[in-house]
Amino acid sequence: MTEPAPQHDPLALEEDLPSAPMTINLGPSHPAMHGTVRLVVTVDGETITEAIPEIGFLHRGFSKSSENSTWHQVLPYTDRLNYVSPILNNTAYIMGVEKLIGIKCTERAEYLRVVGGEISRICDHLTCIGAIGLELGAYTVFLYAIEARELLWDRIAELTGARVTVSWTRISGVASDMPAGWEQHLRDCLPRVIELTNEIDTLLTNNRIFIDRTRGIGVISGEEAIDWGFTGPCLRATGVNYDVRKAHPYSVYDRMDFEIPLGSRGDTYDRYILRLAEIRQSHRIVIQALDQMPPGPIVTDDWRYALPPKKDVFGSIEGVMAHFKLIMEGIKVPPGEVYVYTEGANGELGFHIVSNGQGKPYAIQVRGPGLPILSALPRLIKGHAVADLIPIFDSINMIGGEVEQ
Amino acid sequence: MSQALVELVREKFPEAVTSWHSHRGDEVITVRRENLVEVIRFLRNDPQTDMKLLRQIAGVDLLTFKSEMTGGGALASIEVPEYDLRKKPHVEPRYYVAYNLYSLTKHHALRVRVDLRSDDVKLPSITSLYRTADWWERYVYDMFGFEFTGHPNLTRLLMYPEFQGHPLRKDYPVRKRQPLVPELDFPDLIRGPGPGPGGAGVPMSQTHVGRHNVDPDAYD
Repeated sequence: MTEPAPQHDPLALEEDLPSAPMTINLGPSHPAMHGTVRLVVTVDGETITEAIPEIGFLHRGFSKSSENSTWHQVLPYTDRLNYVSPILNNTAYIMGVEKLIGIKCTERAEYLRVVGGEISRICDHLTCIGAIGLELGAYTVFLYAIEARELLWDRIAELTGARVTVSWTRISGVASDMPAGWEQHLRDCLPRVIELTNEIDTLLTNNRIFIDRTRGIGVISGEEAIDWGFTGPCLRATGVNYDVRKAHPYSVYDRMDFEIPLGSRGDTYDRYILRLAEIRQSHRIVIQALDQMPPGPIVTDDWRYALPPKKDVFGSIEGVMAHFKLIMEGIKVPPGEVYVYTEGANGELGFHIVSNGQGKPYAIQVRGPGLPILSALPRLIKGHAVADLIPIFDSINMIGGEVEQ
Repeated sequence: MSQALVELVREKFPEAVTSWHSHRGDEVITVRRENLVEVIRFLRNDPQTDMKLLRQIAGVDLLTFKSEMTGGGALASIEVPEYDLRKKPHVEPRYYVAYNLYSLTKHHALRVRVDLRSDDVKLPSITSLYRTADWWERYVYDMFGFEFTGHPNLTRLLMYPEFQGHPLRKDYPVRKRQPLVPELDFPDLIRGPGPGPGGAGVPMSQTHVGRHNVDPDAYD
């Protein structure tokens, strides 16, 4: 009998290695820090002990600019809040103005907003999933996600006239109806989007490497997530059922048959799998909205709030006057204060709007869903390895535009 | 539903609630500054209210709320009318802070407002109740300059530290430019440690809004 070889304790070896806490700056212009956020990380060996996010590099003064623009001029600024799903931002802001005025959106426009919004949500989730894949080495996933996203962005470009800076909604409606044949285009390309989503599902969901890198990483409990102000997929990944579309159905979401996928662990993997499930639910909503869409006007005929048709502008004095007043002075919104909230792609997107009855918003502040989630990033990454930082950061899908306003 | 909520808070704190109203379905109460923390603690912890989610903290400056615009929206000056600042009586209390609270179980919302006079812009921090209040209070401090007493780290959130003034106050001119801050001497790994914090590091912050060495006249 030979004596058993002495057991090596791998930790005992490391004890001899000199190790002192080191500070590393990540960003603001780092390819993995989407947008421009700076992260000052203190590492002890491979372990993150301290992290301080610093934001503001992309601050454009959204509130200040908006307070000095007419109600309609704010719309292009909202495009740039979350530039991956701008239609959702447009809708949220316009819903706030409609709430202040007390005007209702036309029924067809509600359906158009739902179609546009859910397509945007799919795009947002695809971007997030693609980025997770890309930064974990699965470049194919990124290519599939971007192919699907481009298909949908082409449809959005046909619908609104722009890929990302759409400025598509109007008070009590939308700017443009579906062009001829667009509905069929969309119905033709949606199966391909789902096919690509299934490909991503096959590539990642049961992938051993992917699971090892994401399962149990960046865990947060439901209670704690609420304390940090989480909403959207990041909150639902912890098992808390809160989706504005179900809790307070706005627009025509109460007529749609869809489910709210829920996670259980609140880790990076759950946040990924939840977005994948939400893509499928959004697809269901789009199909239903297209099926149910009634004919009718896409914007109100109340010329105090909506531009008159060109035929009237050039053909009648009332049309010219309404057009002139709207362009030069903007609409008049009754005084008041509202907080309007919708389900953005990353969580509850809210606008706190104050009007003093003049032609401009008196005060407007945005609740970007990413801001509270980003503030919890140190909590999520503390104790994990440096290599886990990027997947966690990807899975919260921080969008610089809405966080830094 | 939310009406009952307002009644509940008024019964519980008859002294603290100074006014309440409802507008377009939003329930609003205004509370006295001294009672802010206890009212919000009640709203958060009481099983009847259970408002565990702090959606947002927003600030509003009422300085020019009453001013009439001349020339309509697009034509009106983007600056605060000078005569408003000089001639008109000052609005007091000039500011208020609005806390948008929400209950995930009861699905009701309430906005709690606190009025602030311009000569005393301090109010208690609620970071002990909500973790998310940390950044929202920093945001409001950054934009309006309200001092949240008891906040663990009340620094600017979006603007850079050298920035002067608070941009969302109505007397902050839209077109105002601030002198550019000289680029900081960052510690460099190759040229040796510099004076910055941390000793060693990679200079990454040169694209910061305030720290570009661009000719200031190039913009105007």
